[in-house]
Amino acid sequence: MDAATLTYDTLRFEYEDFPETKEPVWILGRKYSVFTEKEEILLDVTSRLWFTYRKNFPAIGGTGPTSDTGWGCMLRCGQMIFAQALVCRHLGRDWRWIKGKRQTDNYFSVLNAFIDKKDSYYSIHQIAQMGVGEGKSIGQWYGPNTVAQVLKKLATFDTWSSLAVHIAMDNTVVMEEIRRLCQSNFSCAGAAACPAVEADVLYNGYPEEAGVRDKLSLWKPLVLLIPLRLGLTEINEAYIETLKHCFMMPQSLGVIGGKPNSAHYFIGYVGEELIYLDPHTTQPAVEPSDSGCLPDESFHCQHPPCRMSIAELDPSIAVGFFCHTEEDFNDWCHQIKKLSLVRGALPMFELVERQPSHFSNPDVLNLTPDSSDADRLERFFDSEDEDFEILSL
Amino acid sequence: PQSGPRAARGGPRREDRGRQRPHLRSVGRRRAGPIRDAGRRWPQAAGCRRVPGCRRCGPSSCARVWVIVERYQKEKYLPLLDKTKFLVPEELTMTQFITIIRSRMALTATQAFYLLVNNKSLASMSLTMAEVYRDYKDEDGFVYMTYASQEMFGCCSLTLGKTMECHHKT
Repeated sequence: MDAATLTYDTLRFEYEDFPETKEPVWILGRKYSVFTEKEEILLDVTSRLWFTYRKNFPAIGGTGPTSDTGWGCMLRCGQMIFAQALVCRHLGRDWRWIKGKRQTDNYFSVLNAFIDKKDSYYSIHQIAQMGVGEGKSIGQWYGPNTVAQVLKKLATFDTWSSLAVHIAMDNTVVMEEIRRLCQSNFSCAGAAACPAVEADVLYNGYPEEAGVRDKLSLWKPLVLLIPLRLGLTEINEAYIETLKHCFMMPQSLGVIGGKPNSAHYFIGYVGEELIYLDPHTTQPAVEPSDSGCLPDESFHCQHPPCRMSIAELDPSIAVGFFCHTEEDFNDWCHQIKKLSLVRGALPMFELVERQPSHFSNPDVLNLTPDSSDADRLERFFDSEDEDFEILSL
Repeated sequence: PQSGPRAARGGPRREDRGRQRPHLRSVGRRRAGPIRDAGRRWPQAAGCRRVPGCRRCGPSSCARVWVIVERYQKEKYLPLLDKTKFLVPEELTMTQFITIIRSRMALTATQAFYLLVNNKSLASMSLTMAEVYRDYKDEDGFVYMTYASQEMFGCCSLTLGKTMECHHKT
């Protein structure tokens, strides 16, 4: 606590402080008062893993770039939102980083998963190279969906975290798909996942959580990412209240998005301003010291976080949530349903029990199940006027 | 002066309204216009409106909604559709409609694709076209949709200079 206060004091003249407002400050599902909890706010922000541009890291792919300055900001934001998921998974939302204090092994395992070297699970190297499969050559700019898709693929190699990553496309969250994903694979991968659970309990020093962990043995911790487009050139203001609500949910992982061209990791809001961590600072890459210890101070933002007006937000975003247990997920669904009833808040995405009727179900359209997708689709365009295309059932 | 899709190539123009009473056979390029009072007569009208030229409809012809689908002018990643005007069965859901458009563009399931109604809103995927028409129709009787993927983020040197201002410490 002292360390955080000192940091804040020494930097207070360089970074704009929080406004003196009665409005609550929301950070990833936690509500704070600026008047009475300023230190707690800053400590919460500082505890998030902050990934920025780095230079002088090992060349990507052996001969590629050694710095991501100018192109890696969305990749860094993807790292930040995913690191928050790993923090929730392995350390808990209440975990705090105190400068100078010895951290647990689990903390360093999380941090190591993002270090700029080729074999870290979610390093810039892995993300940039996996992005090639998404049609992005190394050094190309990413969107929120691109980085989400890449992280989902990378997560399959992270057996330590054993996460279920779901990306809800077409602004629709299908509960049945998520339940199937989170409850799957315990027949085969259960053997691999269980020792990790035991190890968590041991290293974390939270034996009281053991009971909880037992219960979730039938539920893989869920990372839910929802890529959205809330307008064309600017955000449709009807979505702003709903967007704010996302930061109020305990399952919140924040939002990745940005201002035009600059990606940010949004972790909360106060009044009409979003609070974010900014990757646009180039720091030298960090190497473990001779003793094997990883200097971690540059991975925590030790000044008051940046803020910007919500209206300035670029409409392309991805919203993230973490549901450790099935109860967390049920609670999340309940909150989303409640939110859809709030007046003046237009839902950003739809929550449905089952996949809406679709071509995957040929009965819906009374088409023969043996015809290929292409054939089926062509029947929709069976009659074309010179100008209009007539879709038929 | 018109802006947005209405001004785009091939889109219906307001000045055409009233002049045109096309049934489909006579809808021609550059003269396309909806039935002027479509909102009142169709597709809410009792029963179904038979669409001439629809060979598959058979005796049980179905009511349809006029939909204009255009690419966002700044879109860099998604291809242009060869057609922008669609007559869509009113019982088709947004999910089905989007599946058709996605397949037409040969998009994979992981590619971002958003269809914004009136340049603003993501229509709920479970809505039928009749409901979309009810909620979002333009006064000219068309439903306007614009498709876009997501913006990409990166910093050219110009914006980098700007962001460095707030991070002068480094």
